[in-house]
Amino acid sequence: MIDLVIVGAGPAGLGAAISAAENGLEVCVLDEFVRPGGRLLGQLHEEPDGKWANGIEEAKKLYERAIQLGVKIQCGISVYDLMKLDNGWCVYTTDKTIKSKCLLLATGASETPIPISGWTLPGVMSIGAAQVMGNVHRVKPGEKGIIIGVNVLSVAIARELQLCGVHIESILLPKPSLLSGHAANPEKMMESLLRLSHLAPSPFIRFAGKWVSPKLGARLYPKNGFKMWDIPIQLRKTALEIVGDKQVEGVRIAEVSSTGEIISGTEKVISVDFVCIAGGLTPMSELAAIAGCSFCYVPELGGHVPLHNEYMQTNLTGLYVAGNITGIESAKVARAQGTLAGLTIARELNALVDRADEKINAAVEGVIEARRKALIQFQPGVEEARTKLYHKFHETYEEIILTS
Amino acid sequence: MSESQIIVCRCEEITLKEIKETIEHFKCSSREVKLRTRAGMGPCGGRTCRSMIDQLVAELGGPQITNEVPLSFRPPVRPVSFGLLGGETT
Amino acid sequence: MNLMRVYHHPILGNLKKQKKVKIYFDNQQYEAFEGDTIASALLASGVRVLRLHEDNGTPRGIYCNIGHCFECRVRVNGKNTVRACLTPVENDMRIESGIFLHKT
Repeated sequence: MIDLVIVGAGPAGLGAAISAAENGLEVCVLDEFVRPGGRLLGQLHEEPDGKWANGIEEAKKLYERAIQLGVKIQCGISVYDLMKLDNGWCVYTTDKTIKSKCLLLATGASETPIPISGWTLPGVMSIGAAQVMGNVHRVKPGEKGIIIGVNVLSVAIARELQLCGVHIESILLPKPSLLSGHAANPEKMMESLLRLSHLAPSPFIRFAGKWVSPKLGARLYPKNGFKMWDIPIQLRKTALEIVGDKQVEGVRIAEVSSTGEIISGTEKVISVDFVCIAGGLTPMSELAAIAGCSFCYVPELGGHVPLHNEYMQTNLTGLYVAGNITGIESAKVARAQGTLAGLTIARELNALVDRADEKINAAVEGVIEARRKALIQFQPGVEEARTKLYHKFHETYEEIILTS
Repeated sequence: MSESQIIVCRCEEITLKEIKETIEHFKCSSREVKLRTRAGMGPCGGRTCRSMIDQLVAELGGPQITNEVPLSFRPPVRPVSFGLLGGETT
Repeated sequence: MNLMRVYHHPILGNLKKQKKVKIYFDNQQYEAFEGDTIASALLASGVRVLRLHEDNGTPRGIYCNIGHCFECRVRVNGKNTVRACLTPVENDMRIESGIFLHKT
């Protein structure tokens, strides 16, 4: 029986592997993807100081440190079932069955799509799929594309695709439907864009962000959209339908009023060879569910999250969570959570004894600091939501005894 | 109406119209939507469409979303062969 | 061939010289690079349609590209339900798209 199995080799999983192995634990990391790094691999963005943060390089550093510490990392393996044992966990994988004392789920997030007529055509993919194709596999998702959904991810990835030589025709709203929610409403989208305005390359948008109210912004929003890096962001245009015979050939669009009503007579078809759907992200928590974890519905964190405390412990002995499975945030927060989880696990297994409280509390502070320094908040109110979640955990469960 | 052209469950090709009608008729939960329409029963295990089903249920008269995950996850969460379950090694 | 490769990238740098492999998709030969997934190799050659929906025959390709949605499932060297987006290519790999089960 080994000390720790970690499912997910993203920043959280690798962060935890490192801090656990630094304290002498025997660790095995499993990941379904072809190489380690998780969704950090696809990330590529400019920091305020002008330097480029390269996810591939960051993931490589984490991987190499983990390997140096003796961590076993296996890719291309899927976990399909889990079972609680008296003294640990049994992990069923497509390669073999592994038994370990502790189990950390760092499986990240999945995308929640906004469906549109024609979205099953080949050439339509999630915004994350396009990021992976371009930055990780170095293959363009297409020559010319449209992105449906105006949000942090879609704007950032549009820029990344442009750097891959892809022409992004526009980023626009989904058609109002039962499933589009706020995404189809120009005022709401203006509000979220204004929260991002500190990232905008254009000084005008940065300035406007401080003064423009969402209502005014939506009314004044230029009909031809606002360009960021030469890509029109259209809050007054909507995608009605994706068309094509065997694969994507175009998108039928129309103009909308500032309150989101389609203006008749403005329909036209734009030719493209790929389309990205940019909805939202939600924790990928199926393994936590089959393990028997309790859940809590927290919209600010992306949906149902496994109930856990500030030390990344769930209500099940030896079961931990870290990264986007705990709620959607940035890769830096995921990594800090992973580091913390690794230390908490090391203490549970009596490998971390000396100054344990001090080190764990420093790691808790590390997560809070990573959150505060993050450039992008996917949703407002994340810190408050987490504090409430931790209180709920403590109210519901007695303190877990850490030493056996 | 174009709702019959919007697919919600990609695996089973179940449309928005079909799910909407089921919820409105039965005022039912996500689980019952799955049993009645097959939405969520495909090879992806409901991973792609569950958020949409839950949202429609809450909006159209079914039970509101609670802390409990509406569509339960059942192992195996990946398709596995009988050979693999029986201990066959690759 | 390989029209869609990102050979040059202003930040990530030039694509390093890759070892070429031969793969077959529905009996058609394609050139791929070692390190490609089946999905990225085929897309690099402009192939988007990976299967037909089993009941309705509608064409499907990748959607999530990270193994969640199973849209990219193909048959590889005789084995079914293999996700093209998660499977590294190997020389002489034989890949087949799924069969459309005609309604009787």
